[in-house]
Amino acid sequence: MRFHFPIFAFPPEAEALRAEVRAFVADELAAGRWKKGGDFASSYDPAFSRRLGARGWLGMTWPKRYGGHERSMLERLVVTEELLAASAPVAAHWIGDRQSGPLLLRYGSEAQRAEFLPRLARGEVFFSIGMSEPDSGSDLASVRTRATKVDGGWTISGRKVWTTFAHRNHYAIVLARTGDAGAQRHAGLSQYIVDLKSPQVKARPILNMAGQEEFNEVVFDDAFVPDDRLVGEPGNGWTQVTSELAFERSGPERYLSSIRLVEAALACAKSKPTPRVREALGRMSAKLMALRTMSLAVAAQLQNGEAPNLEASLIKDLGNAFEREQIAVFRALGSELPGRSDDYLSSLAQATLYSPSWTLRGGTREILRGIVARGLGLR
Amino acid sequence: MSLAPVLAADALVEEAASRAFSGLAEKWFAGRITREDLLAAVEQLGFADASPTSDGEGWLAAAAIIRAQARAAAPIDMALLLVTGERAAAIAYDPCAYACAAGARAPASPAALAALSLGRCLQIGAAMGAALELSIRYVQDRRQFGRALAQFQAIQHSLALAAEEVAACSAITDLALACAAREGIASKRLPALLDAAALVAGQAVNVVYDMTHQVHGAIGFTQEYALHRHSLGLLRWRDHLHLARGGDIGCAERLGDAALEAGSAWRAVTATMTPGAPHG
Repeated sequence: MRFHFPIFAFPPEAEALRAEVRAFVADELAAGRWKKGGDFASSYDPAFSRRLGARGWLGMTWPKRYGGHERSMLERLVVTEELLAASAPVAAHWIGDRQSGPLLLRYGSEAQRAEFLPRLARGEVFFSIGMSEPDSGSDLASVRTRATKVDGGWTISGRKVWTTFAHRNHYAIVLARTGDAGAQRHAGLSQYIVDLKSPQVKARPILNMAGQEEFNEVVFDDAFVPDDRLVGEPGNGWTQVTSELAFERSGPERYLSSIRLVEAALACAKSKPTPRVREALGRMSAKLMALRTMSLAVAAQLQNGEAPNLEASLIKDLGNAFEREQIAVFRALGSELPGRSDDYLSSLAQATLYSPSWTLRGGTREILRGIVARGLGLR
Repeated sequence: MSLAPVLAADALVEEAASRAFSGLAEKWFAGRITREDLLAAVEQLGFADASPTSDGEGWLAAAAIIRAQARAAAPIDMALLLVTGERAAAIAYDPCAYACAAGARAPASPAALAALSLGRCLQIGAAMGAALELSIRYVQDRRQFGRALAQFQAIQHSLALAAEEVAACSAITDLALACAAREGIASKRLPALLDAAALVAGQAVNVVYDMTHQVHGAIGFTQEYALHRHSLGLLRWRDHLHLARGGDIGCAERLGDAALEAGSAWRAVTATMTPGAPHG
């Protein structure tokens, strides 16, 4: 086999944690603190993120000296999958918790870790990803935003785009060109922690197809970034960016984007399920079990210090196809759902309108299949 | 803290079985061995005695042997032989027979059905893996328009899709295998895991059968080239798996009912996947 997904089991303490998260979610919903919303990238609620932080459910795997909780990747997986299955508003802290924090832990300076990780773990500061540009989407190595060395720091000039919640978040980790691209085009890139509230940084929301302000265009007009905000080594940006990929691509957010629609359909059908509804729920459950098994394997491999990047890309492609398939299936079953609820109709509309973004964000379907093909030895 | 996987593959058994079955298959396809000799050779190797017990003991070795047989397309039905002990049926197995002619006798007991289903899923996964490997080698060698087929993005993506399905099928099958090996063949949650595995395997077969033949062109459709051995094996095992479990719609409806009973698809899925969790 070219790809390896060993079988791991959640330890008993992880399953106890699952019950705890479910009880927390039930309390939150009962108290009306939020309504089930969109997916991980669209429901933004800083107060909810702070409540998670207070419970120790952000920065879960990070060292205690940086405000983390030294729990395993599998326990973190339990929390993230339960929050996503409940369509909880996780967007504010999602990127920092999943990606920026682990990046700083791995490549950041001691001062950066001490400054940012405890605040991330408390749900007090939120991060954006500053990678894509108007002319650099899938071809990330072609970024033109430039960081120039000046006395005491760097100045960044250029434009980033599709920067989710940059108008509300505090910082972005910006990928910029600092030197010669080299033959492989991957050299000469560096990453910086950029303060999104700085006067030389302007975030302008870009209204999406669903009428929501999540995306931004961010313009850096000679934005000064002090030396101590460079992440890792100058010129090492590509290696650092690609090291984030296994975290970015294998998680439950890659196959649970349409779970609210499925559960809403189930709730409508419960009193009188037709054979077709039963069959659809069963087919969906089967594939979900396979995806979840694979996702757990990658989480455990990450815990063991491995870098299963190919496997992570494979999960994302399979998971995105799965979550999009559910929209078609459960839309068609609408006529067999007695008393179609508002929850069903609104989650159907939400999933339908957002689904084009699922197979784009975090690596397009085409890029992912190319990576899987490379794993097969075809390129 | 480093985590250990639940299943430790029986690499030694798998390697020995792979060597033995490749040798036997070579003789069989060259017409140098009879059916009776083939079974006698397998018995001599001791593989026929490696049947798993009902408490799950021996499943890892059995799985390694079943996979090796399916990968080599050796014409002994090791799943049938090991998990039901049916030597007559095992020896009559011909991978070149028309897939749906396999018949669909459902095993008498739930435990036998579980064991046979697991064996079929293991065979399907291994046969798909073998078909994929053959396809990878073929597109690397075969040249058209002045370059290897492997260099065409359309070909790369077709095989990537096939590989994704193979991986999904292996993952859910291994999950069921881990359940059988740890909790025994009568585990309450095993039937649901096998229903899931049967559905995932069924979809995977559709994609893999399509893509592996498509990239091979006409040669894959002949008896002189090896792909058909894997294709016929996996079609036959897929059909038997589904028919024995009451059809793939039956598998899906049972899982759907579990979701409806739990009041949540997510809760049913997590319960089924949790060792020791009550399920019914």
